[in-house]
Amino acid sequence: MSEKYIIQIKNLTKIFGDGVEIKALDGVDLNIERGEFLAIIGPSGSGKSTLLNQIGILDTPTSGTILLDGVDVTEMSDKKRSITRNKQLGFIFQYHHLLPDFNALENVMMPLLISGIKSSQARKTAKEVLAEVGLADRMDHRPNQLSGGQNQRVAIARALVNKPSVVIGDEPTGNLDSKASDNIYELLRKLNQEHNQTFILVTHDVRMAEKTDRIIRLVDGRIAGNSKNST
Amino acid sequence: MFELDVATRHIKSRRRQTLFSIIAVALAVGIIIIFMSMMSGYTSILIDSTIENNPHITVMPKDGEDYIHLYHGLENHIYDLEGVEAVSSYFQSEAALQYQHNAEGVLLYGINPEDENRVVNREKDMFAGEFASLANPGSRIILGYKMAKNLDVEMGDTVTAQIPGAGPADFTITGIFRTGTPVDEIMAFVNLERLQDFYGSGDVITGMGVKMSDAYAAEDLANEIDRETGYDAVSWIEQNAEILTLLETSEGMVYFFYIIIFSISGFGIANILIMIVMEKVGEIGMLMAMGTSRRSIMLIFLLEAGILGMTGVIIGCILGYGASLAIASITIPVPPEMYFGMDHLPVEIELKNFITAGIFALVINIIAGVFPARRASKMDPVEAIYSV
Ligand SMILES: Nc1ncnc2c1ncn2[C@@H]1O[C@H](COP(=O)(O)OP(=O)(O)O)[C@@H](O)[C@H]1O
Ligand SMILES: [Mg+2]
Repeated sequence: MSEKYIIQIKNLTKIFGDGVEIKALDGVDLNIERGEFLAIIGPSGSGKSTLLNQIGILDTPTSGTILLDGVDVTEMSDKKRSITRNKQLGFIFQYHHLLPDFNALENVMMPLLISGIKSSQARKTAKEVLAEVGLADRMDHRPNQLSGGQNQRVAIARALVNKPSVVIGDEPTGNLDSKASDNIYELLRKLNQEHNQTFILVTHDVRMAEKTDRIIRLVDGRIAGNSKNST
Repeated sequence: MFELDVATRHIKSRRRQTLFSIIAVALAVGIIIIFMSMMSGYTSILIDSTIENNPHITVMPKDGEDYIHLYHGLENHIYDLEGVEAVSSYFQSEAALQYQHNAEGVLLYGINPEDENRVVNREKDMFAGEFASLANPGSRIILGYKMAKNLDVEMGDTVTAQIPGAGPADFTITGIFRTGTPVDEIMAFVNLERLQDFYGSGDVITGMGVKMSDAYAAEDLANEIDRETGYDAVSWIEQNAEILTLLETSEGMVYFFYIIIFSISGFGIANILIMIVMEKVGEIGMLMAMGTSRRSIMLIFLLEAGILGMTGVIIGCILGYGASLAIASITIPVPPEMYFGMDHLPVEIELKNFITAGIFALVINIIAGVFPARRASKMDPVEAIYSV
């Protein structure tokens, strides 16, 4: 089982609030294969971000388990969570969240430096990944000197630089025009196929979702649809 | 160390505010170094002048006795002790000096001028005449500048000493000394034998001054003399215990002000760090998502406090050094008898003051950094990331 599935989610529930309780996730069961390119769709407030944050170990569920590569991440210590995020997970958000005081190359180097890799080695790897996302000639630009699409590419390079097994993106094109969005999706798809990494993307864009391997539809914190796309 | 990298970038990205907070620390450190240098200078002048102008040890009669009899043997014994440079026996008595219609109370010391000069250099304080003139066992007296003024006498005048239990005696003034201290108003010297004769007490003394090569060894030697001979030996440290403890307590009080001054500059550091943390919420969340531990987040902001503090401390030390030198070089128009004959402010530049002020400032700045740093490290990554 754990050979085939990189992520196994069982009966995942997340309740927010002390007084008025909001059930953001309500008994979610979901298995995700290695190398799968998965889209999560659903109306606003249906729990998409909450689900991604549990998978990304940025938050802890109220109950249920998440096995990442066979290991239950809900049981991890704070320190272990940090290390796991650094080594096994890559994050792309709606806003690029690049460090404004660092240039593109330095931003992409950051996950490597955090993991303790030497700066010279980190620089080499980061350059390669930046070239892969098509920004070889923009490495020394700061975020405020790049366009929205370019910044999102830098953010993608940063998410991939540690060679994580799972890349999660919460509306990664939510802030871009449709042409830039198309480019980003093509890039993500290409990277997914080349590196055989698992991609889990939340999107509003049905057109985009249709290009993925599988679409999960969330409604009120429950999985209301699970359909494979034929390619 | 990516933490240091992030910390320095944060600081560099807010040039103006960092400049202000560094200046605040630098001023605090500089001002306190000037304070400390002046305190040190004042203290050491006080102590130096005490050591220079007083016997390091005074040996007095045994309990219940008025005199030290057969003192020549004791003199030799003490002189042979380790570290003793000179010994001077004296006969002290209260007296009233009278000249025409003026009369003043005085502590009259009968001394051997050669011995006395070796214990306390009286010759250097002579304003007129020579201290050595008392070697002659005649009726000669040397008195202080203030006393001479009060009595309205000059060199060569004859004053009458009224000594309780011994009647009046005339002395001719052969010298006037001026130390710039209250001594000028209360002490007068005459020949030892002359005073002994006059008192009719025989060859006895009321005390003995001792000079040592190392003034700070006086306390131990005084105790030894006390124990060995049974005479009451008191060191200058014991004699001036009140002033010395007063100096120490005032130093303690001053630390209270240091804390206040440093705290003000610490607030400057805390303020800029709180601003950086608030501005960088999303960035902190992203750093956490990338796997930065809470410890590292904390370290980033503590480093920022440390860098700002350290820079301020270095600039402050340079400022303090320069200002102390400048103050030391200013001559002040004070009457010399007011401040131990000083003509400029006492400033002593001591490395230990720089180290104390520097470490003090740095510690307070890092404490100021703890609150914002903790706040950053305790952030919920999800809230932080989605707050933007
Ligand atoms: N930190 C939180 N505190 C309280 N309620 C929250 C919090 N985060 C999300 N929610 C609630 O949980 C539900 C799911 O939110 P979310 O996962 O952000 O939805 P989506 O990403 O699908 O729009 C919503 O009702 C939202 O208001
Ligand atoms: Mg969302």
